Amino acid sequence: MSDKKPVSNDTPAQRVLIIGAGIAGMQAALDIADAGHEVLLVERLPSIGGRMAQLSETFPTLDCAQCILTPRTVEVGHHEQIQLLTHAEIESIEGEVGDFRVRIRRRAAYVDWDLCTGCGLCQEKCPGRALSDFERGTGERAAIYTLSPQAVPNKPIIDREHCIHFLRDRCGACAKLCPVGAIDFEQQDAFVEADCDAIILATGYDIYGLDRMAEYGGGKIPDVIDALAFERLLSSSGPTAGQVRRPSDGRVPSEVVFIQCAGSRDPQKHLSYCSKVCCMVAAKQATLYRHRVHNGQAYVFYIDIRAAGKGYDEFTQRAMEDEQVVYVRGKVSRLFRDSDRVLVMGADTLTNRQVQIAADLVVVAPALRSHPETVRLAQMLSLPTDRHGWLLPLNENVHPVETSRPGVFLAGTGTGPMDIPETVAHASGAAAQVLKLFANPCRQR
Amino acid sequence: MARIGVFVCHCGLNIAGTVDVERVIEAVRDHPDVVHAADYKYLCSDPGQSLIQDAIETRELDGVVVAACSPSMHEATFGRAAAEVSLNPYRLEIANIREQVSWPHQREPEAATRKAIEVVRTLVEKVSGNEELSPLELPITRRALVVGGGIAGMTAALDIGDAGYPVLLVERSERLGGHMAEHSQLYLNLDAGDDLLRQRVEAVHNHPHVEVLTGTQVVALDGYVGNFTAQVRADYIGNTEEEDGDTRHEDVGAIVLATGFDLYDMGRLPEYGGDRYPDVVDSLQFESMLRDNAVRRPSDGRVPEEVVWVQCAGSRDPEQHQPYCSKICCMYVAKQIIAYRRAVPQGQAYVFYIDIRSQGRGYDEFVQEAMEEHDALYLRGKVSKIAPHGGRLAVWGVDTLVGNSVRVSADLVVLATAAVPSAGTEDLARRTRAATDESGFLSEAHPKLRPVESLTAGIYLAGGCQFPKDIPETVSQASGAAAKVLRLFAKDEMTQEPTVAYLVEELCSGCGTCVEICPYEARELHPYLAVATVNPALCQNCGACLVACPNKATSVHNWTPKQILAMADAVV
Repeated sequence: MSDKKPVSNDTPAQRVLIIGAGIAGMQAALDIADAGHEVLLVERLPSIGGRMAQLSETFPTLDCAQCILTPRTVEVGHHEQIQLLTHAEIESIEGEVGDFRVRIRRRAAYVDWDLCTGCGLCQEKCPGRALSDFERGTGERAAIYTLSPQAVPNKPIIDREHCIHFLRDRCGACAKLCPVGAIDFEQQDAFVEADCDAIILATGYDIYGLDRMAEYGGGKIPDVIDALAFERLLSSSGPTAGQVRRPSDGRVPSEVVFIQCAGSRDPQKHLSYCSKVCCMVAAKQATLYRHRVHNGQAYVFYIDIRAAGKGYDEFTQRAMEDEQVVYVRGKVSRLFRDSDRVLVMGADTLTNRQVQIAADLVVVAPALRSHPETVRLAQMLSLPTDRHGWLLPLNENVHPVETSRPGVFLAGTGTGPMDIPETVAHASGAAAQVLKLFANPCRQR
Repeated sequence: MARIGVFVCHCGLNIAGTVDVERVIEAVRDHPDVVHAADYKYLCSDPGQSLIQDAIETRELDGVVVAACSPSMHEATFGRAAAEVSLNPYRLEIANIREQVSWPHQREPEAATRKAIEVVRTLVEKVSGNEELSPLELPITRRALVVGGGIAGMTAALDIGDAGYPVLLVERSERLGGHMAEHSQLYLNLDAGDDLLRQRVEAVHNHPHVEVLTGTQVVALDGYVGNFTAQVRADYIGNTEEEDGDTRHEDVGAIVLATGFDLYDMGRLPEYGGDRYPDVVDSLQFESMLRDNAVRRPSDGRVPEEVVWVQCAGSRDPEQHQPYCSKICCMYVAKQIIAYRRAVPQGQAYVFYIDIRSQGRGYDEFVQEAMEEHDALYLRGKVSKIAPHGGRLAVWGVDTLVGNSVRVSADLVVLATAAVPSAGTEDLARRTRAATDESGFLSEAHPKLRPVESLTAGIYLAGGCQFPKDIPETVSQASGAAAKVLRLFAKDEMTQEPTVAYLVEELCSGCGTCVEICPYEARELHPYLAVATVNPALCQNCGACLVACPNKATSVHNWTPKQILAMADAVV
C-alpha cells in the first residue's frame, strides 16, 4: 500500500453548468453528478437527448439508438444531483472559475409543467398541425407537442406559430381537455439566476441545409432528402414506423442514391473540412435500407471512404459485399427531377465514365456545421473558434477538452465533427477536468 | 398468504392503445394473492406514484407488481416510492408490458392483451416468493493502478492524482513517454511533440500522489471493483530500489489499462522489402529521423530526395494481414511530408493510398496543404512490389485513377504499417480478465455509450490498447477513463444488487462444479471446509451455478427454482 493518504470525500459539493443535453452533455452530467456534485443542465430544446434521439440504429452494431439512449435520458431526468432546465437559453454569463453567475431564460411553454402529468391528451386532440423539426420534415406534429413519445421531461410546449388559439383566438381544445388545468396561454418567459463553479459547453452541431446546395435541388425536390431525414424514415418510432417510403408519393423506393460530402470538402463553394461521420452513416443507412427493402439497390457516390474506427472498415465491406451496395468514386455533378424519378448525373473517377442513375430517392449526406448557439456562447465567453465556428481547445493534442479560460471546458461536437463513442469519451474527459477542479475547491484560489 | 397489489399503467396510449388494460385488471384480480388491482394513465407521474403508495398503506400490501414500461426505465422510481412507505423494494416487480408487449404487438391487440395478462401473472408468482433484501455494501480502496506510461497512462494518472487520490503508475519499459517520445512534430499545429511530452513526464515524476514504477509489469490480478490486489514485478533493474524479480502486492480500487500499440512487424511485409532493404523504414523510424533532425538514408547516410510513403501496409487486408483500418496513418503521413519538406525543401514526396482518411476539424485541410503547398503526389492505388534498383528503390504500383501501373524511383520508402496491440496485451488481458476482440485490442463495455469502460467493473481503458487513435483522441479518452475512476472513488462504499447466488451449506458436497462453470470467478472452494463459497461482489446473477449444481445446494436470491417453476406454471 502507498503511504500517501487518500483525500477525504467530504469537500463541499460544487456546481457545474452544462450547456447542451445531447449525449455529450448528459454523459458529463452523469459523471459529475455521480461523483456527488451538483449539475445544472440547460437545454435549448424542450427535451434532452440531442441528435442521437433522432437516429434509427447505430453503426457498427446496429443497436437501436432509442433503446440505448432512453435509459440514459431517464437516468438524467431522475438524478437527484442534476437540475434540468429545458426549453431554456443562456442570457449571460459573468464571473470566473469558482464564481460564475449565469442568467437563463426559460422560454414560455404555455403549459404549467409542474401541473402537467404528461398524459398526452392535449397532443392527441390538438387540431393544429405543423411539420415536425424532430422528424426533419418527414412527418407532422400537433401545435402542442413533445419531441417524441420518450421525451424527458415528458411535458409539451405550445408552438405559437401554429396554435389556433394564438393565431385566431379560437379553439383552446387543450385547455378544455387538460384534466389538471395545466394549459396557461398567458405564461411568460421566466428568468433563472444561478451561481456555478465551472462550465462545460456541450452545444453539439448543426446541419448544413439542403437549401444551400442548389446543385442538389436546393431542398425543392421532395425525393431528395438529407441523411437525418432518412434516419427518421428508418426509425421504428418515425413517421413511417420504420418503413422506407419516399416523401413525394409514399412509394417504397427500389433504387436509392446516397451522395456523400454534400457541402463538405468543398472549400470553393461550401465548407473545407470533412464531416467525419457521413461515410459510416451512409454504409449504415444503405445496410438498413436493404434490410427493409430486400430487392432494393443502393448506390453511394463518394470521394474517399472514411471508415476509420473499430470494426468500421469491416462494416463498410459488408455493406458492399453482403448488401451489394454499389460504391461509385466520384462527385455528382447535378441531379434533376425526371417525371417521378430523380436523375443523378455523375462521374466515376475509377472508370473515367459518366454515370447516370434514375433514382427513386436520393439521400444527401449534409456537412455538419457549427451551431449558431455555439458561436454566440463562444463570443459571450470570449472563447476562440476557428473560421467555421468550431470551438478550439487550449491545445489540440494535450489539452483537448480545456479552453483558454480557466473553469470552462468543452465536450463533444461543438469542437468539430465526432462520432458517438468519441463524443462520449470526450465528454467524460471534460467531466474529469471538472472533478479535478472541484477536488481543489475553487473558491480558495 | 401474500397481499399483493397489481398496478397497470396506460402509458398514455403507448400501452392502453393496444392492450385492454381493463381485461388485464380483471384477469389478475381473482388470483388468491392479489388483494388490490388498479390502473392509471401514467404511473410514473407523481399522482401515479402516490396512488401506489396509498394502496400499499391502506390495503397493507406486502408485494407489488407494476405493469408498465421496461424496468430499465422506472424500476428505481417505483422502488423508491415503495421504500418511502416502508415496502421493501425487492418486494416490487416490474412487468414490462410496453417494450415487450404493446410496442412489438401493435397490430394484434387481442394477442397483446393475452400476453400482458400472462406476463403480469408470472410476476405475481415471482413477487410472492421474493425475499426482503438490502443492497450489499462493499468497501472501496481509493487508490488507482495505471498500467502503461505513455501519453494515455500519464494523462489518466495525472487527472486522478490531481483530484487527490494516490496512483500507482506501472510502466514496462525503463522510461515514461511511450511512442510519443519518438514523435517529431504533432499535427495540426506542428507543436514539438517532445516539449509537450517532457512537461507531462516531469509532472508525473514530481506529482505527490503519483508513484511511478518503471521496468515493472503486472503479473497477476485478484479481486473485484473497489478491491483489487495486483501483483507487480520489476523484471528489469530499473530506478526502483526493488531487487530484480521481486513481486509486490498492491491494493487498488480501480485500474486503467493504457498499454498502447505497436507497429506491425515489417518483416511480415516482404513484398514491401520490410527488414530486407535498409532504406525501407517504418513510420516510427522515420518519425525519429525527423525528431533528431537527421533525415538520412540508413544505407549510406545520404539525404533522400525522393521519398515514397506506402499507406495501409498491413491494414485493410483481411486475406493476408489485418482487416481493419489503422485510423491514424493518413494524418501522420501528411504531417511527415510537411516535416520532411521543411527539412529537405527540394525533396519530392509520393504517397500510395486507398482512401485518404482525414476526418474532422482541420484534418482534410491539413492533407490538402501537404498536396498543394508541399507538392506531395498522392497516388490512389496499392503498391505491388518494392525492390532495389541502382542504389535506389523501385516502387511498382497501380494508379487506379488513371488506370495505369506506375513505377516510382525512391531514395527512401516509409511504410505506414498497421497499428497492432502492444506486445503482451493479450497476456495482460488474460491476467486481468479484460476481454479482447478478434484483433487483440481490449474490448470496451459498449461500442457507443461506454467507450472507456472495459467489460469488467472497475477496469477502464485508455488509448491505443482499445483501438488505434491519434493523440487528441487518446488524451480525451484517458481523461474519460480518469473520470470513471473519480466517479467510483467519490463514494465511501459501493452498493451492489443483493440478488446474487447463495449456498445451502448442508447440501453442498464441495464437488467444485460451480467453481468451474462460473464465468465471473465468483465461486471458490472454501480453503478448509468442504463446501463452495460465493463472492457476492463478483456474482453477476447469471444462474449458471444454480443449473449446474448436482445437489441443488446453490440458488439465487429472488430467482429460486421454486419461484421460476411457479412463474412457468402461471403460463402453461
